[in-house]
Amino acid sequence: MSDRITLTLRSPLERALDADAIAPDRFAGLGSQEISALPLWDGRNSVALGDVFAVNGERSQTVALEGDLTRLNGVGTMMAGGTLEIHGSIGNAVGARMRGGAIRVQGSAGDDAGSAMAGGSLVIAGDARDRVGGALQGASKGMTGGDIIVRGSAGRECGARMRRGILYCTSVGAGAGLGMIAGNIIVSAAIGDGAGVGNKRGTIVALGGIMVPPTYAYACTYRPPHLSLMLLYLRSHYALSLDDAQLHGLFKRYSGDLAEIGKGEILEWQAT
Amino acid sequence: MEIRGVQIDDTFAEAFGMRGVRIIITAKNEKWARESASKLTGFATSVIACKCEAAVERELTPSETPDGRPGISVLLFTMDSDSLPKRVIERIGQTVLTCPTTACFDGLPDLPDRIAIGKPLRTFGDGFQASKMIGGQRYWRVPVMEGEFLIQETFGKAKGVGGGNFLILAESAEAALDAAEAAVGAMSGMPGVILPFPGGIVRSGSKVGAKKYKGMIASTNDAFAPTLRAIAQTSLPAGVNSVLEIVLDGLDFRSIAKAMQMGIDAACREGVRSITAGNYGGKLGPYHFHLRKIMSGDLDDAPKADAPKPAAAT
Repeated sequence: MSDRITLTLRSPLERALDADAIAPDRFAGLGSQEISALPLWDGRNSVALGDVFAVNGERSQTVALEGDLTRLNGVGTMMAGGTLEIHGSIGNAVGARMRGGAIRVQGSAGDDAGSAMAGGSLVIAGDARDRVGGALQGASKGMTGGDIIVRGSAGRECGARMRRGILYCTSVGAGAGLGMIAGNIIVSAAIGDGAGVGNKRGTIVALGGIMVPPTYAYACTYRPPHLSLMLLYLRSHYALSLDDAQLHGLFKRYSGDLAEIGKGEILEWQAT
Repeated sequence: MEIRGVQIDDTFAEAFGMRGVRIIITAKNEKWARESASKLTGFATSVIACKCEAAVERELTPSETPDGRPGISVLLFTMDSDSLPKRVIERIGQTVLTCPTTACFDGLPDLPDRIAIGKPLRTFGDGFQASKMIGGQRYWRVPVMEGEFLIQETFGKAKGVGGGNFLILAESAEAALDAAEAAVGAMSGMPGVILPFPGGIVRSGSKVGAKKYKGMIASTNDAFAPTLRAIAQTSLPAGVNSVLEIVLDGLDFRSIAKAMQMGIDAACREGVRSITAGNYGGKLGPYHFHLRKIMSGDLDDAPKADAPKPAAAT
């Protein structure tokens, strides 16, 4: 048993590989030879993990990935526990359908990070491309639990159709919270157009301003008590730079999307 | 045993098992947290007539509360598990939900035994309420005229201890009150313990039942009533003209024992003749707080049975 398992890329990937075998909870009971024999997928062809990565360590729920991993997709898919540390940037669908544990990406992530995630935490130090915390193609629900933190900017349609959970980004592209069922999207800077369109019961928190869609109606300006709790939770758990003026500040509440059931909301912080 | 000339009787306080919750009330400032807590804990001195016993445990700084605002920690106990949710729900519903700026949280989040509190109270929202999951806990946002009331869905239920006590036997009513106030001052704010009576002090200690009136649950403790010294079977030593009692409820045996140690020590002052405790010969409850053991520093005197596990602190 090792403190951690380190997977070091042997040489840069020429083609994208599907690496949903890499999940720390599944490595907990495996020796290094068994880990090396796990399949990675190049289309319909498989390749042994050990042929792509040098495997150092065994039987641990802490896994580190090293190298240029931007063509490695699906890492941490359905993981239920343990810690996955990605030293650099990662490809698409990192943490897709994960149910527990923690993924820390030191660089940026591709499309579909944390899609359909149900629990645990996914922290991306850099940027994330489109559909963070969104739904798998054709699925009715996006993330249903857990926390996603994108310290940089996120692309289009982040949190689309999300059902539950907390998604924090510094900035987001167009269509954030598209068709959102419930859950929370918190953005500390710019929010692209069309945020919250089709929102049913979800909350979009705009700390840096927002263009409110016409299908939302202003309700009041107040201090949402749950927001103090949520922002304090994010600040203490993820060391986010949220100040007391935001924690306990005034927010404009817009109800919407009134083209839907209208139980969702956009909370826009009023800087004083 | 004597402490500064005050005799510590070789006896024990007899306590019984209770069920309790720790309620954290936060508000815009200390004033409104106190307003709510004082109403929540009103008329909650004894289960004999109040159905529950409750008091402020201590005040909390913003860094100690879930939402970063000033707060108050309240402990509330009942005699059984079944009545606990009812008492907590009716009191929070009438005194915290109604109070401006407050929010309400569970102060025992690590306890696995949970009771639904916010869940039934959410229905005040008449279908407009909404829930939020934060850090694995569900909270209810109930729309009210002021804005929103926030309350945690479930609260931890602790196996507590009720009825810890000691009696201060003094030469005068003034000396008894001075000593009792000193004891309360020493015990106030200690974690896991409350003093549910007014100012933490009881002047009308009771005995079980009554000699004259059938059907009385409790009546005056004539053995310790100085005006009855000449006509009743008295337990008062010569020179004692007033007695006050301190009653303690707590989340665990050791918390009460520690508070009793601090309180008795503070009460040992001029004008006090002796410190004793109320018991019923061991028939009432399984928790026995032996005064001399406690004052010797032995705080882990195991109860006879059904020892509660120490409750987690916030």
